[in-house]
Amino acid sequence: MTESVFPEARGGAGPLAGAGAVWQVARAGVRRRRVQTAVVGIVVFCSTVSVVVALGLLESVSAPFDRAFAAQRGAHLVAVYDPAKAPASAPARPVPAVTAASGPFAQATVTIPDTVEHLPPGPLTVVGRAGPGGPVDRLDLWSGRWPARPGEIVLDRPPNPHWSYLLGVRFTVPERPQGFTVVGLASSLSRSAESWVTPAQAEELRPSAAQMLYRLGGAGTDADVRRAADAITAALPAGSLLGTQSYLAVKRDHGRTASAFLPFLAGFGVLGLVVAVIIVANVVGGAVVAGFRHIGMLKALGFTPNQVVAVYLAMILVPASAGAALGTVVGGLAARPLLDDIGLSVFNVALSPWVYAAALAGMTAVVTLAALVPALRAHRMPAAPAISAGGGQPSGRGRRVHRLLSGARLPRPVSLGLGLPFARPARTALTLAAVVLGAATVTLAAGLSGTMTAYGAAAQRVGHVHTVIHVGQARFRETPPRHGDAGIETLLRGLPGTVYVTADAWIDLHVVGQPQPIMGRFLRGDSATLGETIVEGRWLEGPGEMVASPAFLEQQGLRVGDRLTLSLGRARTQATVVGVTMSGEPDLIHADWRTLTALSPSAKATQYEVRLAPDADLEAYHAAVRAADPGLRPVAKSRTDQNAVTVIGFASLLTVLLGTVAALGVFNTVVLTTRERRRDLGTLKSVGMTPRQVTVMMVTSMAALGAAGGLLGVPVGVAAHRVVVPAMARAADIVMPAFMIEVWSAPLLVPLALAGVVIAVLGAYVPARSAARLTIATVLRGE
Amino acid sequence: MDSHHDHDARLVVRLDGVRKEYGTATALDGVSLAIRAGEAVAVMGPSGCGKSTLLNMIAGLDRPTTGTAEVCGRDLGAMTETALALFRRRNIGMVFQFFNLIDDLPALDNAALAAQLTGVPARQARDRALELFDELGIADRRDAYPSALSGGERQRVAVARALMNRPALLLADEPTGALDSRSGEQVMDLLIDLNQIGQTLLLVTHDAGLATRCAGRLVELADGRVVAEHTLEHTA
Ligand SMILES: Nc1ncnc2c1ncn2[C@@H]1O[C@H](COP(=O)(O)OP(=O)(O)OP(=O)(O)O)[C@@H](O)[C@H]1O
Ligand SMILES: [Mg+2]
Repeated sequence: MTESVFPEARGGAGPLAGAGAVWQVARAGVRRRRVQTAVVGIVVFCSTVSVVVALGLLESVSAPFDRAFAAQRGAHLVAVYDPAKAPASAPARPVPAVTAASGPFAQATVTIPDTVEHLPPGPLTVVGRAGPGGPVDRLDLWSGRWPARPGEIVLDRPPNPHWSYLLGVRFTVPERPQGFTVVGLASSLSRSAESWVTPAQAEELRPSAAQMLYRLGGAGTDADVRRAADAITAALPAGSLLGTQSYLAVKRDHGRTASAFLPFLAGFGVLGLVVAVIIVANVVGGAVVAGFRHIGMLKALGFTPNQVVAVYLAMILVPASAGAALGTVVGGLAARPLLDDIGLSVFNVALSPWVYAAALAGMTAVVTLAALVPALRAHRMPAAPAISAGGGQPSGRGRRVHRLLSGARLPRPVSLGLGLPFARPARTALTLAAVVLGAATVTLAAGLSGTMTAYGAAAQRVGHVHTVIHVGQARFRETPPRHGDAGIETLLRGLPGTVYVTADAWIDLHVVGQPQPIMGRFLRGDSATLGETIVEGRWLEGPGEMVASPAFLEQQGLRVGDRLTLSLGRARTQATVVGVTMSGEPDLIHADWRTLTALSPSAKATQYEVRLAPDADLEAYHAAVRAADPGLRPVAKSRTDQNAVTVIGFASLLTVLLGTVAALGVFNTVVLTTRERRRDLGTLKSVGMTPRQVTVMMVTSMAALGAAGGLLGVPVGVAAHRVVVPAMARAADIVMPAFMIEVWSAPLLVPLALAGVVIAVLGAYVPARSAARLTIATVLRGE
Repeated sequence: MDSHHDHDARLVVRLDGVRKEYGTATALDGVSLAIRAGEAVAVMGPSGCGKSTLLNMIAGLDRPTTGTAEVCGRDLGAMTETALALFRRRNIGMVFQFFNLIDDLPALDNAALAAQLTGVPARQARDRALELFDELGIADRRDAYPSALSGGERQRVAVARALMNRPALLLADEPTGALDSRSGEQVMDLLIDLNQIGQTLLLVTHDAGLATRCAGRLVELADGRVVAEHTLEHTA
């Protein structure tokens, strides 16, 4: 048979020659190791879904308003001119601060009568624009079309299908008896108008003002915007500017609701990423470790080390890429509706292509790396020990089992099972690590949800304030109230259903000696019932007291008990810091009304926050407010916090995904371990154990591991929560009161600890029972 | 021994003072051995004396701690892992006591794989494997997975795999150890036939009868050293 003694003289095939052999072995591995293939596929699938959701989340929470605002090329400054005084071309004159301008657009006001069904009665701002686009304030025309002829109107509504019923609605107003038909719904983050019509239609409504929209080069602070406004109007005839609106005011409005949850969502995003990576690494690493004998055989056969690595990478990457591809698609589908809700129905949050690309490429890279590290160990390993190490020879393992058996009197399957994990410490450590990680992950995720719920309720002040009554302002062409400030408060207190009323004034003022203005929120009435959470000190009780956010105090270098001097124009007054709020903007302080009186005796409240009696009907109450004074504009605060519901839905989805991934990780490790011990099981049966005893023994050993892992993992999760939550809060300038961190309770923790046992038992039961049922001979001669 | 390979350039194996230590334990303690092309050599000795270690050195599955191992004119100690793999797939065929078949692949593919590794297309590799299966009398078991084969059948698949690339040297580590005496005989007869048509053979066995029947030379190992060598006369 040997034609040549040194056959390599035939000319060698290169290392690439065996590519077909590599693929054949890998394919056979994928087909024949169904549990491993399925687990790798499903784990990568779930992980990819959570990564897509988490990345989408991170992307949208990183600056939802700014991103949406930039996408719309929103107007940093909306200026309203008197068309009689300012010539139409004048406002557009180049000013260095202005990078883009749009307008002038004719602006008129129509009055919606009480008889119109679907629209709130009162004044409605109408602006004439030829289309939704332009260099500034590109409206998101998310439903219907732009008006083409007189009588057609587009309303400003957030992109939420809920509003679609408005399409086609007809209504008449005194200013246009022929009426309007709603042909479209658009959303403007700049809040430049409440509705739009064709320019011709706007002219017909006898516009009272002309609107200009500006984008500014630098518009980070109120001062920037104010400076730009001054520069723009400097060249204009005196009195031609009727009013301006800064996007920062709009942004603050959004901030209060959306940004409250951002640190938690970001935390969840990061957790999702980290856990997905670790578990994929664990599962893939386990598959390679379990294949050491296989690796040795391939090497003995003449597979080069690189080819062995290739076989293992291929065996993992086939199911992994399928899982990653499917996960990216499903993740995108799952994230869309959730992210729309994160936009809080105010603006559309788009998932950019990089999220998909990063998830797909990132997961593949992670899997490759995770497989590569142990595969490279196989690369270095000489073939001889690998063949004998995991080998079919019953000597090593058999002897160990026999020794165990002689130590413990038969039949004692339970005590034997408890001893088994110590027989192979490396495998046991891997299993234990999987359980600990799984239990810790689920614990941390559950804790984050709990903290988030508590924080959300506090930040949103659910149940404390039911409706906020805004005061119409003439400068925005709104109907001013008939009553004075004190009169409105008295009026509201007199209305049936009112329980508490707090009057608010938001006023720009200075800390003496500092050029940057700050925002003062001055409170009168029942301010203690607003539900602001105080984390240090106490709430306002008298004149000369103030409360501020941790960010403000840190910036100013102040503590509870310190005093500072506030100025408004020439007036000055002192205030003492008596408390710290849980969160808030770095330039916002809360102070008692009498502090404002000291600065500006004539200041008036701009809104009134009302808590209603539990049985009061909100709609009826609003109608009563409008009837009492048409200049009052009530806005309901939702009783159940929709944002919290959405965000917790998100957190739950991630928790479930991470839990599934963790459970699969444990399941996989346990199945592999049990499989490996099939020969031991055969040996045990050969010396007289019943199949039932074998199953009990195996399940007991894994349950013990599961219990140990759960007991270790839950405290690890709780500890991680204690570290992560305050760190997250600090990053977001929030100080968490203790009750938001101590969200743990025994009914929550016990099932979490038990989950490890349940998963381990399930993972052990199936393969142990099938091994126990096999005839001894099959087990002993197999593999 | 030196007189042997001085005038014979066709040495397939030349070990020179090979030592192998595992930690403090010495598995091989200065073994020198030469095997000429076409020879059949049997290695015998008590359990743990280093027989498998010796075979692993010759197959390039492990490296000597000191000393040189030259196979087919190549110094294995100087080669990289990859070079060793390429060398092994072309020059060495191995048969193990416990078969070491790949569980995931059916019998025929297990054998064909060895040829595919050297760049032979899958179809041709299977044809060649089938030829060998025919000769070994296991052609009807070609689609069975290893777990469904008897021990003797598995060992014949392993022999077929070892012969796929017409190796210069066939190494067999207790090839009959896991087989009943009838299957053992069959495998031994097979090895004898192979040697008679020129296959160089190095065989480890416990069975002195089998060793004397099929080997032309007998090497006795004890405590990692060669303690005796006999040339056997037979006209089989
Ligand atoms: N990978 C290893 N690590 C540590 N010691 C080893 C290793 N391989 C072999 N040994 C030791 O080297 C010595 C020789 O082992 P080897 O397997 O070569 O013996 P053997 O002659 O083949 O025995 P048997 O007839 O039982 O198969 C033994 O003492 C063994 O314990
Ligand atoms: Mg041996």
